Amino acid sequence: MIFQSAWKNFCRQGLRAILNILVAALTLVVAVFMVSLVNGFQDQSSKNLKKTDVAGGHYRLADFDILSPTEWEDFAFVTPPELKKISSDEKAEVLVQQGQIFPQNRFIPVQIRGIDLKQSLLELPLNSINSYKGDSIPAIIGTKMAKKSNLLKGDFVILKWRDKYGAVDAREIEIIETVRFVNPRLNDGVVWLGLKTLRDMTRRANESSWVTVKSDRGEIKGLSFLIPNVLMKDVIELAKHDRRNSMILWIILMLLCCISVFNSQMLNAFKRQKEAGTLLALGMTPGQLTRMFVLEGSFTAFGAVVLAFVIGVPFFAWFQTVGLDISHLKDSTIPVTENILLVFDPKQIVNCLVTATLMIVFASWLPARKISRIDPSRALVGKAF
Amino acid sequence: MLELKHVEKIYRVGVEDFHALRDVSLKIEPGAFLAFIGPSGSGKTTLLNLIGGLDRPSQGEVVLEGRSLADLNKDQLAELRRKKIGFIFQFHNLLPVYNVYENVLFPLLLNDEKESKVKDSVMNLIKRVGLEGLEKKKPTELSGGQCQRVAIARALVKKPSLVLADEPTANLDAENSRAILELTSELNREFGCAFLFSTHDEKLIQYVNRKITLDDGRIISDIDGLNGGTKS
Repeated sequence: MIFQSAWKNFCRQGLRAILNILVAALTLVVAVFMVSLVNGFQDQSSKNLKKTDVAGGHYRLADFDILSPTEWEDFAFVTPPELKKISSDEKAEVLVQQGQIFPQNRFIPVQIRGIDLKQSLLELPLNSINSYKGDSIPAIIGTKMAKKSNLLKGDFVILKWRDKYGAVDAREIEIIETVRFVNPRLNDGVVWLGLKTLRDMTRRANESSWVTVKSDRGEIKGLSFLIPNVLMKDVIELAKHDRRNSMILWIILMLLCCISVFNSQMLNAFKRQKEAGTLLALGMTPGQLTRMFVLEGSFTAFGAVVLAFVIGVPFFAWFQTVGLDISHLKDSTIPVTENILLVFDPKQIVNCLVTATLMIVFASWLPARKISRIDPSRALVGKAF
Repeated sequence: MLELKHVEKIYRVGVEDFHALRDVSLKIEPGAFLAFIGPSGSGKTTLLNLIGGLDRPSQGEVVLEGRSLADLNKDQLAELRRKKIGFIFQFHNLLPVYNVYENVLFPLLLNDEKESKVKDSVMNLIKRVGLEGLEKKKPTELSGGQCQRVAIARALVKKPSLVLADEPTANLDAENSRAILELTSELNREFGCAFLFSTHDEKLIQYVNRKITLDDGRIISDIDGLNGGTKS
């Protein structure tokens, strides 16, 4: 009976009810869109990081820090037999050392990164190093690095480094390829060499800075295993930050929607005080009256959820065919290069829907509580407020 | 059935107290058909509101069927109204989203009655008040007199022991007023429930068998037409 009354009263609101539902539905669609876009961003960046650098994790010395280049030389280790024996499609040994290049009489500090060229765990376009027939040291650099240093394919440049025993050495290297890496961290500041070449140059036989593996191989004495989430901490933090920002925007939109529902309910309460007085006179309890008004407001929430599906599903389906163009970010340090697609997390969507529903129900409960406390004798003559 | 003991009602208007009712005491027997008469502001509506449990007296006591309304909380008062008291208002106060049938049915649904069980009695009552064929009409599609008949049916459908009618004919023309009064008079006899009117309509006063006159919140006369004597 209360449900039926609430439904009929809700329908009577006409355009006001429709507008409230529309605003709430659009807010829900925007919320799901924003959350899923951040997911898409995180998904693509972590996928790119995983396939070019992180894979299933790194074995490395405990205090190694990629952001402290002056310490790299102190944190190389001889690859232990437990890792050595892993096949090259499940591991990649990597050695990083500081160096400098001198293109056109300029001085540019670089990371010299040697990687096992037989590995197939990471997707790195370095195969041309294997097929090099020249007399120099073959090297590959990223397109951003090439642009910064004015180096082109086929150019020669002096590379200077220090070996394990502190001796400084320098040789000419040939840039055999400039490659666009999907991971911008590899696209700039890195000179790629074969692992064996770098080990020979630095007299670090069998040494690595880290060994990338497909999956955790258990504890290995002297080494720490860093899981992908630790290695991608900065990207995850960035996504978390974005998620927080989008949440703030969503809360603002949701509050506007709740104010609209609250406003409608207040107007209802004011306009329908005689009706409320009549219902109390007929024997409806204040609790039943509150439930009826809250239910009327709740129909906005349920209507919004339904309409959000009606609007959202085709919109999201279309969006997945075009994605969000982020070509303007290609030179940034964020590891995203392609169009971003939405990644839906059912738990997040349910959270959004439940939160929105609860907020709208709360917004309709506040005026309902007020009307249930009215003096019926005054409400009957329209003077309750 | 109903007893008011030294009832007073004081409203706060700004910084001053307004005495709507002053020391009102009276007894009403079951099946009574009486009217509270008096000018505007004499306390008629206030008295009906107190009897109906819509308001509480500032002093004194209202006792209905042996229960003091002062002892009842809001939910218990609602239950009392739901089961024992029917209301008829000047502007009929029908629920605008419901049609005639649903408006009459509504009090029964509030009493948790199943529609299938009470449908016939609702239809009979609609027929009895002369609205047969108009069951599906919404209040906006009815005349004032028809609306008031719906309100009467709504008040009687739960078979209350008391019907409170606040100026039921004030908004009707002479013919409709007469028809409504005849109908209520017949239903009073048929249903055996007490009808308490508040009115200043002289025509209505001719139909009742007891007239209680109020002025400035006091009962100044109580004439029982059936017994032909003054009670107080």
